[in-house]
Amino acid sequence: MEFEALGRRALDTASARGAHYADIRFENVHGERIEVRNGVVASLADGQSCGYGIRALVDGAWGFAASSDLTDAGIDRTSARAVAIARASAAMARERFGEAPPHAYVDRYETPIVRDPREVPLGERVALLLEAEKLVHAGERIAVGRAWLDLWRTEKFFYSTIGSAIEQTIVQTGSGVQAMAVGDGDVQTRTFPGDIGLYKSGGWEIVEEAALTKNAQRIGEEATALLTAPQCPSGTFDIILGGSQVSLQIHESCGHPAELDRVMGWEANFSGTSFLEVSQLDKLRYGSPAVTILVDNNLPSGMATCGYDDEGTKSGRSDIVRDGVLRGYEMSNDTARAIGRTSNACVRAQSWEFVPMIRMCNLNLLPGDVPFDGLFDGVRDGIYMEGNRSWSIDDRRLNFQFGCQIGWEVKNGKRGRMLKNPTYAGVTPQFWNGCDAIADVASWNAWGTPNCGKGEPMQSGRTTQAASPARFRQVSVGVGYK
Amino acid sequence: MKSEQREAIAQRAVERSRADQTEVRVSCSDESLTRFTHGISNQNVAADDVTISIRTIINGRTGVASSNDTGDAAVDALLAQALDMASFAPSNPLVPNLPAGGPAQAPAGCYVEATATCDPASRATIADAILTRAEREHYWCAGYVSTSSGGTTIANSSGALASFDGTDAQVNVKATAPDSTGFAEHYTVDVRELNGSDVGARAVELARASANPRAVEPGQWTVILEPPAFGEFLIYLLAHFSAQNFSDGSSFCSDGLDRTYFDERVTITDDYSHPLAPAMPFDYEGQPKSKVTLVEAGVVRNIVTDSYYAKKLDRPDTGHALPAPNAYGPQALNVVVAPGTQSTQDLIASTKRGLLISRFWYIRTVDQKRAIVTGMTRDGTFLIENGKIAGGVRNLRFNQSIVEALGSVNFSNEQRRTGSYSGSLVVPTAKVERFTFTSTTDF
Repeated sequence: MEFEALGRRALDTASARGAHYADIRFENVHGERIEVRNGVVASLADGQSCGYGIRALVDGAWGFAASSDLTDAGIDRTSARAVAIARASAAMARERFGEAPPHAYVDRYETPIVRDPREVPLGERVALLLEAEKLVHAGERIAVGRAWLDLWRTEKFFYSTIGSAIEQTIVQTGSGVQAMAVGDGDVQTRTFPGDIGLYKSGGWEIVEEAALTKNAQRIGEEATALLTAPQCPSGTFDIILGGSQVSLQIHESCGHPAELDRVMGWEANFSGTSFLEVSQLDKLRYGSPAVTILVDNNLPSGMATCGYDDEGTKSGRSDIVRDGVLRGYEMSNDTARAIGRTSNACVRAQSWEFVPMIRMCNLNLLPGDVPFDGLFDGVRDGIYMEGNRSWSIDDRRLNFQFGCQIGWEVKNGKRGRMLKNPTYAGVTPQFWNGCDAIADVASWNAWGTPNCGKGEPMQSGRTTQAASPARFRQVSVGVGYK
Repeated sequence: MKSEQREAIAQRAVERSRADQTEVRVSCSDESLTRFTHGISNQNVAADDVTISIRTIINGRTGVASSNDTGDAAVDALLAQALDMASFAPSNPLVPNLPAGGPAQAPAGCYVEATATCDPASRATIADAILTRAEREHYWCAGYVSTSSGGTTIANSSGALASFDGTDAQVNVKATAPDSTGFAEHYTVDVRELNGSDVGARAVELARASANPRAVEPGQWTVILEPPAFGEFLIYLLAHFSAQNFSDGSSFCSDGLDRTYFDERVTITDDYSHPLAPAMPFDYEGQPKSKVTLVEAGVVRNIVTDSYYAKKLDRPDTGHALPAPNAYGPQALNVVVAPGTQSTQDLIASTKRGLLISRFWYIRTVDQKRAIVTGMTRDGTFLIENGKIAGGVRNLRFNQSIVEALGSVNFSNEQRRTGSYSGSLVVPTAKVERFTFTSTTDF
């Protein structure tokens, strides 16, 4: 498909109709989902979607229109529609806020991969999942075993009226296993790796890293054991969270509140606002000095890793929290300009039919200097939790409650008996200020999330919060089961 | 794309397939949304697409391939791809015969031309009326106005052929005052029913009435949940009525149907033809949807099925399949809760001390089997004292079993269509006698 000529046609049409700036993003998206459920291939699906989205700027207001109609007539119609929408935006606007991006780039980017997943025969891909799922059934009480694989390949072609021409190929891969045990009026679930599987940018090597068959039986055994494990106690305890749970904690309590569009009220009616107000920048002690959280969209194997975001801004690295103090936000061109900064390339669209918006990209907690086992030292009476089971946080991202799949009591620095239904709750700054140790780089992993929701129309984003296990002092535990 | 065109594409693909069984779904959509905040439109968008999905079954082996290229050559290639995918799946003896379909009458008024052809200027006019209403109070507001049209056609090798076209129009707004917020929404199929000024006024009034919120203690409260709050709460119970959850043993009612789980005032149906939310009269396998009584006077009567679970559990196919491939099982998507006999005002007047809740946020399941969920109040929470609203309160977090909440509940005599990113349903206001809050916020 000759996207460049179609792109030029769309941009010319938008300009002729009065757009001061326009860009077009073609995407050709290929996805494969295989899921085995209780020995049956419940999903063996291949999907392809190709289309484009056009942004037009008229009198400082934006319009966006998208279509899969790749004919000249379709391009003309959609480009005109984007301009008409921008005019409607301008007519209702009380102020001008949109401007063209400040820089143009001509470049290519491709996800580095070791082995292209398409080189692995489909039969092998299915066989791996059948074997892993079979191993999950470690006992009669496993009512449901699951094993799954997701492969995505996205080709993007971005052109703008200021001269950008950016081609990117993004390859993302994920897989996991899950066991659900049922008995004694209870249901217990364990997932591996993490709580949704292992999702990263990269090729078949990501599936090999997940080591599904090596861990499937253990996951099944743990789910069964949880049915008869004692209930996690309620009270105030020191807690240690596994890496994937720390990742989700970053996601919900730092990643979302640090989205500058949310701070500015752009998400108020749906996913809410934020306690990280601009007046707190460089002042708020978000967490303890151990806590440094960065945007790094060049992170190897990050789900959001790419060369350029969907506004055509070059990927980079910037501070959100440095040594515990709020230092920055995830930003777009327009929102960054509103606070006197420049975009840090955090704009993404789910796919061609969605408007680009600020999304949590790779937002990572830097590792500490304590070996994982060292986190247990100094914990006299605590709980170690792994694998998320539930997550909820208020619409300013302060009051949160999380539940984990499995816990263990910690007595005098040693891991003890298994506990079921561990939950913990807190208020974001107090919680992160109680973080006194983060495990070192040996247990640091780029935990990816393939389905982060935001925006209206709702968009599903792919994001990574790299993290290692961490220790938090004096946390409310057992909420919901008192 | 007209239904005739979709049917031609789907039937051609079925006829050309070499599989034992073939199902083809052709869908089209044209969706527009004008989002606004602080006096600007921060997302003003439109997108159209046509997609085709083909499921092929050979000797119990299933493969699915989809694309948004519906040209003849592309569809032929997609057929070959779906067949190729199927050849790698192990045979599953439970794979049923695809449904033969049958008459499925679309509810009256489900497609409104004015909604399908609504232009961005018209949406902007509605949004502008909301902004203007909030500005009069010196509040700021954020929300959206959306219009959409869509069509779905299912054809299969068992003879099913069904098409549906529908429209949808929505507005939602959150008004923000110095220390309080308020929310209002309106869901309809006809954009001409959306009145920006009225919706804006309701949100503004809630924000005004909840100003200077006071702190209340967490614990067990009597609550009155307005439709947006009750709907969001109830959505997290609906998967329990899926044959898959029932069969897995993870549903609250897996131990048996025809048992009393709820208050006798609870009657819940799945009804695609309700006038407030008319919907597709067949499922994604082309099977006509049955109107299913899930709960009758507190007794759980039925679960919903698709062809796979109908065969597996030896139950009727109720027509609740999701698009293939589907790892979630059949789902009730058109839930209606029967109204009670009292007005919302009567429910408030009969409450000595309680909380009136406009909206919930971020509900998630804490305990699957007991259907315990946690979440937050937002955008208008009020204290009720001696049968009267006594002002706004700060937001609270709850941890509550939905099953237990429905064990002692009363409903208002008015139903509203409500929804969220999780789904859409028709519900009255609900008064729950015992509802457990576990913490509070400073706002």
